[in-house]
Amino acid sequence: MDFSSLTEALDSQNYAKIANICDTLLLQVAAQGTAFQDEWPYAIHLLGHIFVNDINSARFLWKTIPAAIKESRPEVVAAWKIGQNLWTRDYVNVYEALREFKWSPEAQGIVAAFSELYTKRMFDLLLSAYSTISIQDAALFLGMNEDDATNYVVQQGWTMDSSSRMLTVKKQAVKAEQKLDSSKLQRLTEYVFHLEH
Amino acid sequence: MNSVEAVVAQIQGLSGSGSTAQDLVHLHTLLKQSDEFLSSDSGRAASLLSQLDPCIHSLGYLYILEACTSDPISKDQSSEIALSIAGFVDACKAEQIRLAPDKFISVCRRLKDQVLLVETPIRGVAPMLTAVRKLQSSSEQLTTLHPDFLLLCLLAKCYKTGLSVLEDDVYEVDQPRDFFLYCYYGGMICIGQKQFHKASELLHNVVTAPMSTINAIAVEAYKKYILVSLIHSGQFSTSFPKYASSVAQRNLKNFSQPYIDLANSYSTGKISELESCVQTNKDKFESDNSLGLVKQVVSSMYKRNIQRLTQTYLTLSLQDIANTVQLKSPKEAEMHVLQMIQDGEIYATINQKDGMVRFLEDPEQYKTCRMIEQIDSSIQRIMALSKKLTAMDEHMSCDPLYLGKVGRERQRHDFEDFDSVPQKFNI
Repeated sequence: MDFSSLTEALDSQNYAKIANICDTLLLQVAAQGTAFQDEWPYAIHLLGHIFVNDINSARFLWKTIPAAIKESRPEVVAAWKIGQNLWTRDYVNVYEALREFKWSPEAQGIVAAFSELYTKRMFDLLLSAYSTISIQDAALFLGMNEDDATNYVVQQGWTMDSSSRMLTVKKQAVKAEQKLDSSKLQRLTEYVFHLEH
Repeated sequence: MNSVEAVVAQIQGLSGSGSTAQDLVHLHTLLKQSDEFLSSDSGRAASLLSQLDPCIHSLGYLYILEACTSDPISKDQSSEIALSIAGFVDACKAEQIRLAPDKFISVCRRLKDQVLLVETPIRGVAPMLTAVRKLQSSSEQLTTLHPDFLLLCLLAKCYKTGLSVLEDDVYEVDQPRDFFLYCYYGGMICIGQKQFHKASELLHNVVTAPMSTINAIAVEAYKKYILVSLIHSGQFSTSFPKYASSVAQRNLKNFSQPYIDLANSYSTGKISELESCVQTNKDKFESDNSLGLVKQVVSSMYKRNIQRLTQTYLTLSLQDIANTVQLKSPKEAEMHVLQMIQDGEIYATINQKDGMVRFLEDPEQYKTCRMIEQIDSSIQRIMALSKKLTAMDEHMSCDPLYLGKVGRERQRHDFEDFDSVPQKFNI
C-alpha cells in the first residue's frame, strides 16, 4: 500500500483533504484484493471524516472495522469516541474524548488542529444561539476552565456580569459582499426581459 | 474461424494499432459468430487471454473473458476472477466495450456476484464505478450497472462514494427496472447521509413512475417515502399526484398500513400518540428494517413542534417550550433549541439569564453576492431543463408510433373531428 499521498497531506497539515484521500486509497487497495484491514490507518481515516464534520461517513467507516482491530488498537476506539460524542451532540464530552487519550505522533497534528477548529465552531455556535449565557456553561462549551473561557470571550467583546456570573454576547456584524458587478445585473435584466416577452 | 487461436489472431489483427472503426465492427461480427465455441472451449480461451492486451484489444478481451468466466466458479477461484475482471474494467477502452454493452454488463455482474460471494463488497465499489463511467455515453444516461454500483456501496457502507453518481441528472433510461432500483438504492444512500430532501425526491420517483403491475421495489420505496417525508417536511399526504400510475394509486397503501397509521398519528402533533403507534407496529417496522428511520421520525416531531411555536410566539420561556413539546426539563428544551439553531432549522437566541428564547426572522435578505449567484445558477438550471422538455416534447410529437396511437384514439372518441389528424400518421 502506498501511503505517500496521505503522509504528504498530513505533513503539510492539509487535514481537510485526509478523508477524501483515505476514501480513494481504501477503494483502490480493496479492488486490488489486498487484505488491508490490519495495516489500514483507521484512526487517521476516522479523524479525517471528523475534521470535515462528516460524522455520517465516520460512523459508517466505524461499522466496517473488524472487531479484532477495535480490540487491539485503542487509538481507533478513541478516535471514534470523538465522533460518537459529535453524533449524539454531547458537546462537552467531545473535549473529554480529545484530551483523555495519548495520541500517537501521526495523529497528534490532526487532533490538535481539530481541537482548535472545534473550539472555534463552538464559539460561533454560542455567538449565534445565545444573547446571555452563564460563565459555567460557556466554559463547558468551549472546553476551558471558567477563567480562560471568560478571557477568551471578553476578548471578542462580550461583557461579564460578575454578580450573576453571566456573560452577555456581543453579536458580530457579518459582512457579506453586496456589491454587484454590472454583468450580473445585465444577466438578471435579460431573464426578466425573457420572461415578460 | 474454428479455433480459439484463430480468434485470438483475428483480435490482434483487427483491434491492434492502426485498426479502423470498420475493422472493429468486422471483428465484432466475427466474435458474435464464434461466441458459442469460445464458451464451449473456455479452458483453452483462458490460457490465451494473456496474449491479449485489455487496453488495446478491449473488445476481443471482453468476449474471451466473458467466455472463460461463464462456467460455474468455485469459491476459491472467486477472488482471482474478481481481480482479473477488476483489472480489465480498469484498463479497457470505453469506445470498444460500448460496442458490446451486454457482454460488458454480464462480466461486471459476475464481478459483483464474486465479491458478494466472498463477502467483501468493498472490492467491487471502485471497479463498478469505473464500469458505469465507461459504459455510459453521457452522464445523463442511466445504465444497468448503476443499481449494481449503488447496491455495492450500500453493502460496503461507502455511502459517500455512492453520492457521486446521484448528483448527475438522469434523462435517458433503458429498462424500467434499472430506474426503480437506482432510485430506491439512491434513496437509501441519501437517507444514510441524512440528505432527506434528495432522498424523498428519489423515492418519489419510484412511487410515481409508470408501472403496469405492482412491484416489490415500489412497495418498499413507498414505506420509506412516507418516513422520509415526515422527517423532511413534517407531513405526508396519502393522495397521489395525477401522474402516478393507477396501479400505484390503488395498491401501495394496502401494503403499507402501519406506515399510513404512523403518518396519521404524526399529524396529531402528540408525542405520546406517535410513540404508542410505534410500539404497536414495532415488529412490522423491525422486520422491514426501518426501525432506525422510524426513531428519527419520532425525534423529528420535537423539532416540528418547536418550529410550530416560532410561528405563534416572539418570545417564550424554556419552561413553556418544555411543557408544550413534552420535554422533561427546561435544560432539555434548551439543548433542542440549540441543535436546531446549529442546523439552521430555526432562527432564535437563547437568553439564559431570563430563561427565555426569542424567535427571529430568517436573516437572509437576498441581496448578497452569494445569494444572487445561487439564484442565477438556479435560473440557468431551470432554463436548461425547460429547453430539454421542449425538445423531448417535439421529439415525441414527431414519433410515428405515438401519433398513430393518439390518432386512432381521437378517431374513436370524437369521430366528427376528422380533419385534426392527418391520414398519413395512421400506421
